[in-house]
Amino acid sequence: MMSFGFTRLIQRSALRDYLEFMLLVAFVLWVTLSVDAVDAQEVAQEVAQDVAQDAAQAILADSTGSAGQEVTDAVNLWVKQGYLNYETAVATRCSDEAFVRRIHLDLIGRTPTPTESLDWMQSDRDRDKLIDSLISQEGFVQNFADFYDSLLMGRTAEGTYEQRKQHQWRAYLEGMVRENRPWTEVVEEILLARPLSEEQKGAVWFLYERNNDHQKIAESIAPAIFGLRIECAQCHDHMMVDEIKQSHYWGLVAFFNRSKNEKSEGVLRVSESAVGGFSEFADIEGSSTPNYLTFLDTEVVPEERPEKSDKQEDSDGLYLTSERPQVGRVPKFSRREKFVQEVLRDHPRLALAFTNRIWAILMGRGIVHPFDEMDSMHEPSHPELLDWLSKDTKAHQFDLRRLVRGLVRSEAYQKSSVRPKGAEDPATFAWYIERPLTGEQLARSTMQVLHGRGDAEAVGIFRQQFPEVLPRDYVTTVKKALFLTNSDDFDRLIQSSTAPDDLVPRLISSGSRKDQIDQLFQTVFARTPDAGEREAIGDYLDNRRDDPTQAMQQVVWSMLTSAEFRFNH
Amino acid sequence: MTKRGCGSPEHTLHRRLFLQGGMAATASSVASFSGLFSIPAFAANAKASGKKVILLWLCGAPSQFETWDPKSGTETGGPFRSIPTALPGVHVSELMPRCATIMDKLAVIRSMKTGPSEHFQGIDALTRGDTPRPPFTRPILGSVIAEQLGDLDSPVPQFVLLDPCPEGNEFKSFKAGNWAGWLGAEYGPIRAGGDYSIPNLDKLETISDLDHEDRETLRQFLSRKYENDRRSEAAASYNAAFNRVRGLMSCAPLFDLEQLPKADRERYGRGAFSQHALQARHLIENGSTFVMVANGMPWDNHVFQHEMHQMLVPELDNVLYQLVTDLKDRDMLDDTLVIAMGEFGRTPWLNEARGRDHYPNAWSLAMAGGGIRGGVVHGATDSLGVEVVDGVADHRNLFSTIFSALGIDPHHEYELPGLPTFHRVEGKAVAIKELLV
Repeated sequence: MMSFGFTRLIQRSALRDYLEFMLLVAFVLWVTLSVDAVDAQEVAQEVAQDVAQDAAQAILADSTGSAGQEVTDAVNLWVKQGYLNYETAVATRCSDEAFVRRIHLDLIGRTPTPTESLDWMQSDRDRDKLIDSLISQEGFVQNFADFYDSLLMGRTAEGTYEQRKQHQWRAYLEGMVRENRPWTEVVEEILLARPLSEEQKGAVWFLYERNNDHQKIAESIAPAIFGLRIECAQCHDHMMVDEIKQSHYWGLVAFFNRSKNEKSEGVLRVSESAVGGFSEFADIEGSSTPNYLTFLDTEVVPEERPEKSDKQEDSDGLYLTSERPQVGRVPKFSRREKFVQEVLRDHPRLALAFTNRIWAILMGRGIVHPFDEMDSMHEPSHPELLDWLSKDTKAHQFDLRRLVRGLVRSEAYQKSSVRPKGAEDPATFAWYIERPLTGEQLARSTMQVLHGRGDAEAVGIFRQQFPEVLPRDYVTTVKKALFLTNSDDFDRLIQSSTAPDDLVPRLISSGSRKDQIDQLFQTVFARTPDAGEREAIGDYLDNRRDDPTQAMQQVVWSMLTSAEFRFNH
Repeated sequence: MTKRGCGSPEHTLHRRLFLQGGMAATASSVASFSGLFSIPAFAANAKASGKKVILLWLCGAPSQFETWDPKSGTETGGPFRSIPTALPGVHVSELMPRCATIMDKLAVIRSMKTGPSEHFQGIDALTRGDTPRPPFTRPILGSVIAEQLGDLDSPVPQFVLLDPCPEGNEFKSFKAGNWAGWLGAEYGPIRAGGDYSIPNLDKLETISDLDHEDRETLRQFLSRKYENDRRSEAAASYNAAFNRVRGLMSCAPLFDLEQLPKADRERYGRGAFSQHALQARHLIENGSTFVMVANGMPWDNHVFQHEMHQMLVPELDNVLYQLVTDLKDRDMLDDTLVIAMGEFGRTPWLNEARGRDHYPNAWSLAMAGGGIRGGVVHGATDSLGVEVVDGVADHRNLFSTIFSALGIDPHHEYELPGLPTFHRVEGKAVAIKELLV
């Protein structure tokens, strides 16, 4: 066993060396010849492409490990090849200081404490080790549960968040991340909504929260699970995306339109009728079509369809009865079951959409962008890579940690966020794309800074004010600036930094001005200040000796509200 | 509540000096410092014309048949009659009796023929003046005009979007996008409206005026450095939002609908769209340059078109009438351009749900004042409103006309180092001459 693993290790690293070498050859060829020969450029690109193809097959053939090194290799290979194809300048590797903050935010959803960042900076600065350590922390579970919640359910009022918790939806999501459960299992559970165990109880909530609005259900399944937006197809076939038909919209609705919320003795259930749910939809030319059970490229699921004039009789004979109160009676012909079995199971879009979404979370935008519009109008920037990654994801039972580890170890992820001259298109991933912290990340980071704990206390306040998750463009409205400037909610968090171990008292009681400022920067920005920053803040604090606490509060405010804190970079 | 102990003028002055001095000393180490206290420069000729714009953005796209280009009595005309107007021989839909009386002040284009037939793409083309060329983002009309004609020294926001509806399908996602584009975030709109008023406009009691200002100076010092180091558009937008805080706090009453005269509020009508049209007038009177009034995406009537338009058009009719009449009475119409349009028109035929669907091939819009000649109807469609038969115009011609009316060079080439060549209006598209004063 040992020797086998060792041999594989050698082979793999030799393979990597070979690939690196060939890419280098292609690159040198390109650079040397590109001065006056466009043809030569094309030749070089073709060489690079051929190399990449061979490499891909080699990596895939060998992608059996769980550490995800193959994922990293694949990303490095194709993204680098993309730099040639796109002819873009490329950022340098990010500094360790930048990395330690970035990786904490992306993996555990908050900035590092000063101890966490300093300890690592003063150790061997092994990035891989830090990644492995963060991936196994509870913060990873919370951070990804936050993402899944937003992407599956959307933002909502705090009262509904409370319900999501009370009805075990939150616990269900956390369990999914904690136990690394395959995404395919999870989506089957939430769409079938017939939990088989106490641990799955929360799975009902995905449908239940939509409150019998079957169009809403269809419109949330399409982006979250299939990576497609179908709202347009309610009234007509999508005008610009041929593969999205009006029949798909109403077909997807039909799979769920016999479902109904029921609640008895505190148990939530999404029951299903054995009859009804037949209707017709009109297209813009005015002709009517029955809402057959169909979605995308799946054949129509056969179902007995009564004449319009006939009324279907419902009867107990059409149902089976389950022991579990959360399931209740189940129709012998269940549309939800059919959807899961005939459409959902093994659908190739599941892996594509899942991979593209995780990529978007970690890399700042999808390989297909926007990440939930993976249709023929939106071409992938790196098609071979997306294809490879989604196959690998599927081959490894949607192992989230493997994919995450593979991506954040890549060179593209570890690029500096300073965009070099000659790099314009973010689709090249030639630099680390800065991204706003989500409301949850901002809340946890703010609490970490002010009170030394990354707990969920302020999450409710921040996610209402900063609802965007993976926005297409990030534009700050003046309302957000007003919230940070004038709201009691934000002010209170700073004003209450008064316990002996909280930031403000800790700084005031610590030694020299220089120590104070260094600690401050380490805590808020996870870096050391430069001379100019030290001087400006030092001068301000010196001048405000009349009230050191207030002075420090103002400085802390100015740092928490600066762009450097607002973004991950 | 804690107040700062020492507030003597001498102390204040000293602190101010030190803050500036302290920062000046760091200029060599911090590249971004020089921009700290300066107000963004704007061209000297910018204010020369003093022109303003109110855009009634009829999102979702209204029907030309039930507004400016009725075909009553034909198979496409729908149930409503057409009525004569103040312009001999010109008819509009009977849903617009008030505007009919001021047709001599309005200019109507009946020959719009534009490309995009989906909302997002249509909104993009008709608010930016061109179809997208990713990854570059063309600024929206209001941003261009705020940059060209606005007074950035003014605490009053120069470009305001009034839209009480946070929803609105494609318009919702459009609103979340980048409006100011390559002009930079300081030219983006301030968003307000209705019950979604602007919260947190009052200063906290826990902090003095001076601290409020000082901590913002510190914030900018730190934040600008980050923005400049990264050439970050997101950070630029973030910092621009903070830049507006103090100005906005000082003109908070402008955003309070309740402070507008009751009689005016009655006259404009109780609906959100009407109230915001009134507020737009108020903002223009008080120094805003471009106010865009929207109300989600109500005009997209794929279902029960006639019933829906029967509710929507009379409101538009009244609002446009009140606005143009008010501006005229206040001697402001010559300097204030009012535009009422959507992103395309609607089909001549009805669908099965008795709706009209998207139709970019032949549609209408209206304008008044601000360098546009009143009493002109430009272009024409055929007897069923299927095709344009005279005076065809697209979004580029429209933008050329708007810019020309406001005294802005429509074919100006943007100075955008490192970007491809872009013009305010591409393809040398010409303005519609007969609409210009």
